[in-house]
Amino acid sequence: MKLYDYILSPSCYKVRLLASLIGAKLDLQSVDFHPGQEHKGDALLTLNPAGAIPILEDGAFVLTESSAMLAYLAATTAPEWEGRETPDMSAKVQQWLAFSHRLTASLGGARLVEMLHGNGDLDALQGAGIAALRELEAALFEQRLAGQSFLVGEQPTIADIACFPYVALAPDGSITLDPYPSIRLWMRAIRSLPGFIEMPGIHRLHDLVPDPQSSKEDH
Amino acid sequence: MTHTLSLPWTPVALSSDVPPGTVIPAKLSSGPIAVWRTQSGHLSANGDRCPHRGMRLSHGFVRGETLSCIYHGWRFADDGSCTHIPAHPNLTPPSAIKCNPRQAKESGGVIWVADELPDEEPVFFEGYKPLRSLVVAADETSVREATQATDVDSGLAVNHAGTDIRLLVSDLDGEQVFVILLLAENTSPEACVSASRWAEVMRQKAERICNHGETT
Repeated sequence: MKLYDYILSPSCYKVRLLASLIGAKLDLQSVDFHPGQEHKGDALLTLNPAGAIPILEDGAFVLTESSAMLAYLAATTAPEWEGRETPDMSAKVQQWLAFSHRLTASLGGARLVEMLHGNGDLDALQGAGIAALRELEAALFEQRLAGQSFLVGEQPTIADIACFPYVALAPDGSITLDPYPSIRLWMRAIRSLPGFIEMPGIHRLHDLVPDPQSSKEDH
Repeated sequence: MTHTLSLPWTPVALSSDVPPGTVIPAKLSSGPIAVWRTQSGHLSANGDRCPHRGMRLSHGFVRGETLSCIYHGWRFADDGSCTHIPAHPNLTPPSAIKCNPRQAKESGGVIWVADELPDEEPVFFEGYKPLRSLVVAADETSVREATQATDVDSGLAVNHAGTDIRLLVSDLDGEQVFVILLLAENTSPEACVSASRWAEVMRQKAERICNHGETT
């Protein structure tokens, strides 16, 4: 499987992150998104007429939506990440995959304006982003009441991976995450998963790696 | 009347929102703070600024019994003293290096912080437990109007669908208030969810009132 990838793209990161968490092998093809605009060039337009990345290619099979890529990776490699144990869970996964597009449009839109000089009404994007974060916080709080750490149960699913990156990068769009304790604990739970990988702006939990000072003392 | 704003202790978070080995950002009227809990469960608070390069310590991490700055790894103990500087591993950090410790106390499932140790204890709502916290982009008057709450000692009281709710309201920055929702200890899980959803609606209402002078 080949992923047309850009290191600063949260949508590309979703696919890389899930692949790492479930141990799926991806061949990464780096795209010169900025400043080269390679995704708007003939070669990539042939794969995705929308002129966007990520693009996932598996032989002749091509996907251009990150949520579909997450579903495909889970279905082929780790079905437990699909969250299909009950009809309710299946539907909730779909609910959050759809919701993740609101995060991309609002939080991601504000990030493009603030970081990459994109166009857009920053106030409106931030307002929509805060509304989405409040919904997520309220939902995660209800999950905690039910003793569940993730969006659709006690185990992570593709729904969590679809929502996590744009939320974690909200501060890039000058939107604070300080007021959301349940989002903070949820992000910590995701970052604690074996196989978690970083992207610029989303670092690993340093407290989970061995203390360099104590290892020095051991030797 | 805004009695909550003048309490000697400021409520900053629920105890359950700061598990062992974590740090969170919060605000006092004197400025931003980092509130953190050691692996062994001890709670501390200090100014949210590393004395080295000014990085927010709430971006850092807790390992064992110390808080580490994310920038250059300076480590601080719960009394605010610096215990280790990775770039100078053999140096015992001078005692003058401090990260502005504050007074932190837990009472009734709420974390309270003060600049100096007050004479009084934090307020306690007998028979109530905190449900969750919300930041509302409105003033206390708008929250009061939206919820139709009445005054009780150091807080607000309201009954929603048969559930008794207490609200602890404190000012964050003049434009937002921090609200902790407390429910009677025997409240059912369904009523807890219902109260949380009610609070979401009240927040929107309070913000509309504050922005547009809307009345109920």
